Amino acid sequence: MLICALLLAAAAASELEVSLVSAPARLSVQLAVSRELPAEWRQALEAGAPVSITYRLRLFRNRRWLWDQRLAGHELLVRAERDPLTGVFTLAAELDGEILASGQAASVDEAVHWMTHPPPAEIPVPLRHDPLWLVVRAEFLTRYKLLVFPSTVGTDWVTRAVQEAQ
Amino acid sequence: MTGWRRRWQRYRRQNRVLVALYLLLLALAGGGYLLFSRMRALPPEELTNRLLTFLLWWFDLTLIAILLFILLRNLVKLLLERHHGILGSRFRTKLLLSYLVLIVVPTSALFILGASLLSQATASWFAAPVEGMARTGTELAEGVRLDSESRVRRIAGVVAAALTRAADEQGRLAELERLHVLMGNDFTGYYRNSIAVVELVDPRLRTLLRLPTIEAPLDPAAGSRSERAGPTVVVRAWERLGDGSWVVIGDALPEDLVAAEGRLAAGGAAYERLKLERPTVTATMVLGFGGLALVVVFAAIWLGLYLSRSFTEPLLALVATTNRVAAGETLEEVPLPAEDEVGLLVGSFNAMVRRLRGQEKEMRSTLGRLDAVLGAIRTGVLTLDADRLTVTGNPAAAALLGLPVLATRTVALEELTVAGLGKLVDAIQTAAGPTRASHTIQPGGVSRMLEVAVVPLGGENRPEGWVVALEDLTQLVRAQRQAAWSEAARRIAHQIKNPLTPIRLAAERMARHVERGASDLEEVVPQGCRAIVEHVQSMQEMVDAFSRFAKLPPTSRRPFRLGELIGQVATLYHGVRPGLVVRTTDGLGGREVLVDPEQLRQALTNLVDNAVEASVGGGEIVIATAVDGEEVVIEVADQGQGLEVADAELLFQPFYSTKGRGSGVGLAVVQRIVTDHGGTVRLEANAPRGVRAVIRLPGGEG
Repeated sequence: MLICALLLAAAAASELEVSLVSAPARLSVQLAVSRELPAEWRQALEAGAPVSITYRLRLFRNRRWLWDQRLAGHELLVRAERDPLTGVFTLAAELDGEILASGQAASVDEAVHWMTHPPPAEIPVPLRHDPLWLVVRAEFLTRYKLLVFPSTVGTDWVTRAVQEAQ
Repeated sequence: MTGWRRRWQRYRRQNRVLVALYLLLLALAGGGYLLFSRMRALPPEELTNRLLTFLLWWFDLTLIAILLFILLRNLVKLLLERHHGILGSRFRTKLLLSYLVLIVVPTSALFILGASLLSQATASWFAAPVEGMARTGTELAEGVRLDSESRVRRIAGVVAAALTRAADEQGRLAELERLHVLMGNDFTGYYRNSIAVVELVDPRLRTLLRLPTIEAPLDPAAGSRSERAGPTVVVRAWERLGDGSWVVIGDALPEDLVAAEGRLAAGGAAYERLKLERPTVTATMVLGFGGLALVVVFAAIWLGLYLSRSFTEPLLALVATTNRVAAGETLEEVPLPAEDEVGLLVGSFNAMVRRLRGQEKEMRSTLGRLDAVLGAIRTGVLTLDADRLTVTGNPAAAALLGLPVLATRTVALEELTVAGLGKLVDAIQTAAGPTRASHTIQPGGVSRMLEVAVVPLGGENRPEGWVVALEDLTQLVRAQRQAAWSEAARRIAHQIKNPLTPIRLAAERMARHVERGASDLEEVVPQGCRAIVEHVQSMQEMVDAFSRFAKLPPTSRRPFRLGELIGQVATLYHGVRPGLVVRTTDGLGGREVLVDPEQLRQALTNLVDNAVEASVGGGEIVIATAVDGEEVVIEVADQGQGLEVADAELLFQPFYSTKGRGSGVGLAVVQRIVTDHGGTVRLEANAPRGVRAVIRLPGGEG
């Protein structure tokens, strides 16, 4: 009963859905943000200011002899900008600085959906014997507490075990 | 291990700056790497903002870390110094705390106020009117586009309806051209099976032909789209006909209008972007202002520490030197080139040190001479501490007491007791003031008679030490004793020889008369026998006098009225000789003196006897008493012939007489009695004539 309650609470609290498809030496990551985006972020998008969502992907392995358990870090940056004269949203997704996909959207909702459901990102996975896990987070913008202390607005870190490719 | 640690500490001290610089560069490099790795994909403006924020944060954190380090280090150092009671720590603590309160409190208040003002100022940038204007530009551009799309879509609907009504393909083309001209379209196209049947374009806008074709089938059947075409924006609308063909109507917005809309829209977008960066801008300004405040605080604290050091260091150097000088460690001057009031103080101190150096040099010279004198004299000198527990001596004292160690180091006084010098130790320890006495001691089994003089140093009440002078009287007393025996033998022989001669002459005369058978034998023999008996009697009296002098009993002193004793003696001599008056003068007033009355009566009787014998022609004998300080003075003065010898002291020697009769022990008995009472007696000339005998006795008990 308690386990069920915890699982339900975890499922309810999850703001980032992560789907993993393993392939030999590769891992396809499909992300989807399910939480409400900040109002100022959406207003900026509608007004024509360039906005972005940064998905941080970190691959971990249990390395007891090292204090740093991280194997690799990747960054999926999804950007959008509306042309106020044509009303068209220009969309682009970059994985570690390389363009992964691009597109156009005619409406805000379409653009937001494209950004919160970015195209699958394929990241290299090293050959290993130990289990791996992927930690993912989506960041929307930066706010400041007490005027000077940076505070990133985004989802919580989501951890998923990486299955071995069949 | 210790050597490595010492080398490391020396290396660390010498290369502290290099190590700090290395760590700083390492931190900078690491921070920069992290920063740029996280900001690779950011646009330049945002990168600048984040870089500036990072640098300000780094600057502020560095300043805070340095400030905290300096403050904590100095506070801990001051607390430790206060704990150990190091001079100047209290003053420096007060000075530092005063600087902290005077600088940190107002600067913090100023920073809080300034940060609040900065925050309000940035908030005012995003006030409602400004935001309204920015949104109006965006909405205007949107409105123009939507209006144009609506209009073009209506035209497309009209054209599609007209083409539907046309009878054949030729009719459709004619109607299309007519409506293109009639409606004033910039672009009119007719498509079937993804092939352009006809495209009519304003000759001035041939760039519209380069736009991508709107493909069919389209879903929805009618729609519109806006696209950029060079400096303008083209709005295209399409409408599908019943047979699957479709028409496209395009309208290019005026370039000026598009440019104006673009500016408005760009302003709105820039405003929104700035609004999105508003927290970063505020943080940057506050951090910059905070950094400035920290620089002020840092400079003030550094200045405070520097000033506190510059104030206290000269004083501490002066205090440390004065402490060393006061402790007797050194007589060094303070090497402080100061010109202010501290410099005057240092100059005065240095002058005092130079004067002390001169006095110390003189004192060392004097001590050297004193050591030489003490080493050369034959009088033994002992020096003791105030409690008379330790003692040192000069070589003469060491030789006298048979303790060579006395001349080389300080020894405990108890060691003298162990060495058999208990009498000397008792004499030293029981002395309450300056005393002088003779003691016979046996250092090393050899008997020595020492005259011991004990003198306190620095006052009798609280003596700072004691000095004991030891004079060896052994040889002197032995010589005096031998001389006294020689003199006594000579005088006894003289006294005995005087009566022997008449006895021998009387015996020889009687013998001669008996041999001759002289007729006057009966007369001569009685005469000779009488003479012999008289001289034998004289010798008997002399022997009795010797016996009395030798068997003089020890004194038994008790308080006695001296005036009463003198009165009794004077009474004995009233009318002893015609023309002689014996008179007394009492200056004691019934005062009691600690004396042996019988012995003192005998001494006075001897003196008055001498005075009576000297007063052949009569006159006056005065027995006077007086008090002189702590002594009682008794004078017996006559008006006789006066002293017949130059040295009056000879008269006190036993068997010495100038009268040609008597035993010659009268004055010797007087001197012995007076000496046994602790007093003195002397003879001196009386004015205008005669002799005056003066006895001085201690009268403290009276």
